[in-house]
Amino acid sequence: MTNYIGKSVKRVEDKRFITGQGKYTDDIKIPGMVHAYILRSPYAHAHVKSIDTAEASKVPGVISIITGADIPEAIAGVPCGWQVDFKNGDTMKEPPHPLLVRKTVRHVGDGVVLVVAESKAIAKDAADMIDVDYDVLDAVADPKAAAQSGAPLVHPDAPGNLCFDWELGNPKEEVAAALAGAHHVTELDFVNQRVIPNAMETRGVVAQYDTAYDKYTIYTSTQNPHLIRLLMCAFVLGIPEHKVRVVGPDVGGGFGSKIFHYTEEALLVWASKHLNLPIKWSSDRSEAFLTDAHGRDHASNAKMGFDKDGNIVALQATTYANLGAYLSTFAPAVPTYLHGTLMQGLYTTPKVNVDVKGVFTHTNAVDAYRGAGRPEATYLLERLLDLGALEMDMDPTELRRKNFIPAFDGVEQEGYQTQVALQYDSGNYEPVLDRALEMVGYENFRKEQAAAASSNKILGIGFSTYIEACGIAPSAVVGALGARAGLFESAQVRVQPTGKVSVYTGSHSHGQGHETTFAQIVADRMGIPLDDVEIIHGDSDSVAFGMGTYGSRSLAVGGSAIVKSIDKVLEKGAKVAAHLLESSVDDLDYADGKWTVKGTDKSVSFGDVSLTAYVPHNYPEGLEPGLDFSSFYDPANFTYPFGAHVAIVEIDKETGAVKLKRFIAVDDVGNVINPMIVDGQIHGGLAQGIGQAMYEGALFDDTGQLINGSYMDYCMPRADALPSFEIDRTVTPCPHNPLGVKGAGEAGCIGSTPAVVNAVVDALWKAGYKVKDVPMPMTPERVWTAMQG
Amino acid sequence: MLVKGNHEFNISKEMLWSYLMDPEVLAKITPGISELEPTGEDSYNTISNMKIGPVKGSFKGKLNVIDKEEPSSFAIDMEQLSKIGNAHGKISMKISDADNGSTNLAFNGDVKLSGMIARMGQRVLSGVANLIIKEVFASLETHISESTA
Repeated sequence: MTNYIGKSVKRVEDKRFITGQGKYTDDIKIPGMVHAYILRSPYAHAHVKSIDTAEASKVPGVISIITGADIPEAIAGVPCGWQVDFKNGDTMKEPPHPLLVRKTVRHVGDGVVLVVAESKAIAKDAADMIDVDYDVLDAVADPKAAAQSGAPLVHPDAPGNLCFDWELGNPKEEVAAALAGAHHVTELDFVNQRVIPNAMETRGVVAQYDTAYDKYTIYTSTQNPHLIRLLMCAFVLGIPEHKVRVVGPDVGGGFGSKIFHYTEEALLVWASKHLNLPIKWSSDRSEAFLTDAHGRDHASNAKMGFDKDGNIVALQATTYANLGAYLSTFAPAVPTYLHGTLMQGLYTTPKVNVDVKGVFTHTNAVDAYRGAGRPEATYLLERLLDLGALEMDMDPTELRRKNFIPAFDGVEQEGYQTQVALQYDSGNYEPVLDRALEMVGYENFRKEQAAAASSNKILGIGFSTYIEACGIAPSAVVGALGARAGLFESAQVRVQPTGKVSVYTGSHSHGQGHETTFAQIVADRMGIPLDDVEIIHGDSDSVAFGMGTYGSRSLAVGGSAIVKSIDKVLEKGAKVAAHLLESSVDDLDYADGKWTVKGTDKSVSFGDVSLTAYVPHNYPEGLEPGLDFSSFYDPANFTYPFGAHVAIVEIDKETGAVKLKRFIAVDDVGNVINPMIVDGQIHGGLAQGIGQAMYEGALFDDTGQLINGSYMDYCMPRADALPSFEIDRTVTPCPHNPLGVKGAGEAGCIGSTPAVVNAVVDALWKAGYKVKDVPMPMTPERVWTAMQG
Repeated sequence: MLVKGNHEFNISKEMLWSYLMDPEVLAKITPGISELEPTGEDSYNTISNMKIGPVKGSFKGKLNVIDKEEPSSFAIDMEQLSKIGNAHGKISMKISDADNGSTNLAFNGDVKLSGMIARMGQRVLSGVANLIIKEVFASLETHISESTA
């Protein structure tokens, strides 16, 4: 069988993962390796008055104790990879993010002292003996509070704690005028709370400096090895890039939090040369809570205006986005170009304005987390639509249908130009809603709901019809929007002399199953067995270049790069085959792993052609030997998956406890290579999106302390809290990439959250409680409180 | 972390005041305290051991008695440092006549926590702290009845 695309091939990588043979950063052991522990600030904002390391340095086994003052001044800190400007044209404020603080700590967990010892336990014990004398200062954790005058300043050169004050879309006055003339305006003040990514594998770094070759090798738990190398070499440490190898080995989940270049990476690399010792740091779970970049954290006001028939006439979205104390690699892009640009949704809204203030606070950095900006945009839009339907006493599905953008395939019909910069590639929105309603049994449900309205267990249904932008992204477009990197992808297809194929991809798998999906593409297109294909990723010394994996880009961008290289291999292979068959390229067909002269039984196999390419005794004149091609693919546009998510909840009126009874998701992610893997991605995304709605949320006290920084205090969704998901798909191919794929990694997390909250509000509203919002996570106490008015 | 509560003693305001201002008494009755060393008038260095839920640690710190208005009010200003986190705060104490002829001691304060004790189980810590303070007063009552017996 060589027909692999569209088949649920079991994941080849799972054999090593489920037998405990995965090799993660913490599994890396180098002879002579020493261990690092980072002593972190217990305060959100303080001046460091003194650091006393005398006792700690006497502990047997301690090798070195390094403070901020020991790091050369020239190493200013880790950079930000995206520039967002103020609406008046001013450049965003970009304060330095030092590897270890020199004078001021700006969030709990800010690194203060690096202790290096023979073991992690010794390093930790020695760190306990270090006395840091702090002068504790006032702190602010809430983004809206931080933007008010008089709030404690995070950085002296960022007045009002503003990083940027940005807007997108139609002029505000036009939106205001449209809202003023609207028949009805639905308005909501809400918080899209901060969530903590909680990848199963915590972060870690192993760094080794080799004096013989003057070369560094770094293992790091990253989604993005080449970008880490580029940022660290060129912008932090000033090391020549060709003298650094970065490996992202097996990585146990990232959800965005491992995209970024963290201080620990550069700190360990610097220390490995400074001490001339291989050195390892691995984060424990407490550190992960404090230092892995968090997600979301928006405080918003939104207004959606409707005419008397329910047509949306305008949208105004105003958001304070928490960036944390320092700018993480893509932090400014998330609440702006990955959020504001999605405010058109699936709707024909003629006037849209998005106003976003990026605010520094005394908290850990906030950056991309599964969905990155699109979940926040979807939440805002979909909450307003369901609430608008309740307020106007209209059916929420009918209200959506009225406003859907009509179907367009991006080929016969042009892409849809939004009011907020993007042009959607292809879309057909009614079928996903139709299918979801069919699966729900909508009419029946409404009858059941009415029957239950007077009982103690009330029922509600919530909708979310989302769109997202993924397959990030055309380099020229993102460059114009402030990205300091291109967002293409590379792929090399190296055919070995025996016809076996090694594929080097710049995409990085940390749970997505690339080793299977990418191999399916190669085996299918080349007509060879799946076992003949090996996918190699995550090593900057073997892969030419890579922009890594995030923004549901691997298949749409990385997969397309692989297709380009496959095409080149087959094109050259055909020349060799034509020579061997004494025919011309135009007379050959390629299928099932062999070239055949049309209309004859004369053929030559892929393996024979490969061998000939490497043993070119009988070979076309002028053709280079070998069969090995690299390609870089820069997409023409983002891709725009969409879908309809429906939640059905039951609320116990006496306790406020919410039970998610059913969850229906119909997604359109374009063509599907491996349905089982897509299902898995959707399931995982749904769990995280529902987790935000019902369970998760980072809490800070008024001194900036994270008060739920452990699994005893931070509630993660578990299997027993979730119903068996009911999922289906429609297929609207992407018109601009060779696979017609759109991306599925984030869809579940983008669509699901508002559906669940909408269901709770619907249940309450239909039972007579005119509750507009229940803040997330919707704990029983919050639901009960909302019911008391 | 907010702490708040009260306790009634069957002695006069003045008597209660004198017990509360006696460092030896305080050292004896405070749970976990192993050292209370005067460093000046109304200032002490302290060492104490605490176990709160999943975390335990040895705290070193300063304790000052401030805002003294004999015999009706004072406040304790404290800073306690440990490897599991730090506590800074001020607890106000009000001593007043109770209806039944006894004396009421009411406490009210805000203690800021940092480090691991802030992150783990802080939601239950207020209750624990109130319990500890009540335990102090219960011990004081026992001490009073023993010393006046």
